Formats: sequence, structure tokens, C-alpha cells
Amino acid sequence: MAEFRNRTPMTALVVGLVAFAIVAMVVDRRSAPGGPERELSGWSGAVLDIAAPVQKMISFPFDLTQNAWRHYVSLLDASDNNEGLRARLAVLEEENLQLREALIASGRLERIAEIRADFEVPMLPSELVGVDPSPWFRSVLIDRGREHGVRSGMPVISEHGLVGLVTTTSVRAAKAMLVLDRQSAVDGIIQRSRSRGIVRGRGTSEMDFEFVARGSDVRIGDVVISSGLGGVYPKGIRIAEVVSVSDPGTALMQSAKLVPAVDFGRLEQVFVMLRRGPTMELLYAGEQAGDLGVMASERSEP
Amino acid sequence: MKRILALLAIGTLAPMIQGAIGTFIPLRYCPDLGLLLVVGLGLCWRSAAGGLVLSAMLGLIADLLSGSLFGQHMLLRIFAFGAARACSQKLNLRGLLPRATFVILLTVVTTVATGVLTSFFAAGPGVDGEMLRELVPHALINGAFAPLGVWCVERMSIWLSEVDAGHQLLQLQPRNRLT
Repeated sequence: MAEFRNRTPMTALVVGLVAFAIVAMVVDRRSAPGGPERELSGWSGAVLDIAAPVQKMISFPFDLTQNAWRHYVSLLDASDNNEGLRARLAVLEEENLQLREALIASGRLERIAEIRADFEVPMLPSELVGVDPSPWFRSVLIDRGREHGVRSGMPVISEHGLVGLVTTTSVRAAKAMLVLDRQSAVDGIIQRSRSRGIVRGRGTSEMDFEFVARGSDVRIGDVVISSGLGGVYPKGIRIAEVVSVSDPGTALMQSAKLVPAVDFGRLEQVFVMLRRGPTMELLYAGEQAGDLGVMASERSEP
Repeated sequence: MKRILALLAIGTLAPMIQGAIGTFIPLRYCPDLGLLLVVGLGLCWRSAAGGLVLSAMLGLIADLLSGSLFGQHMLLRIFAFGAARACSQKLNLRGLLPRATFVILLTVVTTVATGVLTSFFAAGPGVDGEMLRELVPHALINGAFAPLGVWCVERMSIWLSEVDAGHQLLQLQPRNRLT
């Protein structure tokens, strides 16, 4: 009896903590992505806010050494690169001029200039300060948060292509899920043949291109870009390149293996697109429930 | 109290350090500092309830910094603490090899549990060949660092106890002199 009495509080504590963890997971999953709890505040936000400068401080000596070495190595063939780039620039300038002439001739340049403003999304440069502490999830911590205008659901890109999506924000930092994560799926198309499929992360440095209709024109070396159909990422962002195509056999769908356009091992700086896609805007509207009327009126404005 | 606060601070720093190191080295080749800390608590911490709450809090902090579901690391850290505690009572986990073997097995179990929980609660593909391939080096690295990790927690726990005890003595001495 005494032993039972001694064990009861401990059992209650274990059950309580386990129940809390399970409920937290269910709530985290059931709530719409970007529900109010994704905007961390209080002690949880403070942990994320503290993490960014601490991780920056820890990685500073490594960064310094790595950058010094990289710059030294890149200096060795800078002259050759410079010559090559100058030649390429001349070719591209000539091509650009010809295209402009063609557009002016067809009368489309003015119209393009008019609609350009609609497609220009403000970008926020941000530094990558840390990666996911668990090897089984692929997310990164960036040093820009809500006070810089970053919100959950905003796409993150680099100069090479699509990086991921902001999932959690605090005042001065944000967490972004990479396209490599096993929970990530992006609607993509082959740039050359316009064949559609889903780019799914595998948790490794490669991705899968799934649900491609049998007979679709997919070849090794093809570039996959975002289709914009999911309403999460804008159309036309480079995602990956096809490295192998599976034999569909008798299956209706075929798949391909992709390598991301972004070298995630060397990723240092990213850009947060400060505009959410229409799907994300709808999903995250819940966090501004009080302002729904205002948002609706804003959307209906010409 | 100081012991708990100090370990909580170290536990908060552990995933941050790991996240910073992860930008240079693939994480499968890094020891899971959070897991080693919790195993150390399970093997050395006197109060089971205190260690359990501390482990749960360390898991919660890891959840905040990770892309996992909120509560996932917390659940796994509770399990790791419980497993370490239970096994230390039934088995001899004092040597280098038993500790390393125990941590390797625990890494395998917690990784499989991570895959299962992710596929159950989220849209992940569960445990697959890729995950198992990455698990092998990660489990071995964790095993290799396990004796050192547990030793560090042990020493830290003793040192912090002595600090607490030292302060108590300092407070008591003047009273003795006055009486």
C-alpha cells in the first residue's frame, strides 16, 4: 500500500507529461498551418530570439575560417572566371537587345512594364544562422522575424532557386522548412516540356518528382520550376534538376529523382518573399480573425 | 534549484550549438547532445521526478528550434529518460561499452519512433531506407560520444551539488558562531 502511495505521484507525472506531449502534437497538426501558436511569443519566442544571435556567435569562427579559405581559393582562378564572365555578358547583352527590339516591334513592352509592378514581390535579405538540431527534419533558422515583416507562409528563396517556406516566427527570428524536408511537397513543372508533378522532399540531399503522368516528356538534365498551382509558391522559381527517371513499367505514373538547384550545404544568405501566396493567405487568415472584414474589403479594392 | 537552472541552460544551449555546428557538418555525423544529456540525467540524477520534468522541458525547447511537431521531442526525451532510468536499475550501465551500446539502441528506437510519429501526425513518409541509412552513422557517433556525455553530466551534477552545499555551509557558519 505504501509502495503504491509512493508511486502514484510519479505515475501521475509521467501520464500528465506524456498526455501533454501527445495533445501538443495533435493540436499542432490539427490547427491550420500558421494558426496563432505559430507566431511565437513569450518564453517560446524568447528561445527562438536568443537562438539566432547565439548560433551566429558559435558559428562566427567557423564562418571566418571557411570564408577566408573560400576567398583565397576563388582568387586563384578569378582572372579566368572574369574573362569567361565578360564574354558571356557580351553575348547576353546582345541577346537582350534583340529581344527588346522584338518586344517593341510587337508593341508588348509597354504592357509588360505596366503589369510588372504586380509581379514584383518585395524581398527581405536574411542570414541563415542555424539548421535543425535534429538530423531527421530539414529546417533552418534565419535572423529576421516579425519586426522585419516576416510572417508564416512566406516563401524563402536564394539566388539559385527555391529554399522553402517560413513556418514559425518570433520577433527577431524565423524558422523555415526546406524543400528537402520529408513533409515538404511543391507543385512543379518541367520547364522544357511543361509536364507536371509533385516535388517531394526525402530528408536527404535529393528529392522525388512524383505523380508524373506516364508518357510525359521527362529527361535527365531537365529543370523543374514551381508551377504556382499550389498557391503557396509563385510560378517560375527554379527548384531542381532531373538526375534520373524511373521506368514506369505498367504503372500509370512515373517518377524521377531530382537534385535541388540550391546547394543547401553552402547556403548562407536567403531572401524572404514578403508576400504570401493565395492559399497561404487564406490559411493564415485565421490569425487575424478580427481583421477578416478589413482584409476582405482590402482584397475587393481595385 | 541552481542545479536544475544550470542544466536547463545547458540543455537550451545544446540544440543551439548543434544547429550551429550543423551548418558545417552533416548532422548525422554529429552526436545528439540533447539525447546524451537526457541519458546522463537518467543515469545520474537522483530525483526521478525532477529529472523527468527537466528532460521534458529540454525536449520542449528542442521542439521550438526544430521542424518537428510541437511535443514530439518532448515525448521522445521522456521516453529516453525513462528507458535510461529503468535500464540503469536492472542492468549494469557503468562501463564504457554498456553505455555506448545502450545509447546506440536508444538512438535506433527514438529514430524509428520519430519516423512513426511524423508519418502518423504529419504527412511524412515514415521510416524508409534513406532514414535507416542515415541512422547507422548517427547511432554509432552517439554511441561513441555516450560515455563522455554521461561522464560530463555526472561531473556537472556533482559539481553543482557541491556548489549548492557550499553556499548552505557558508550561510550556516555565521549562525553557528553567533549562537
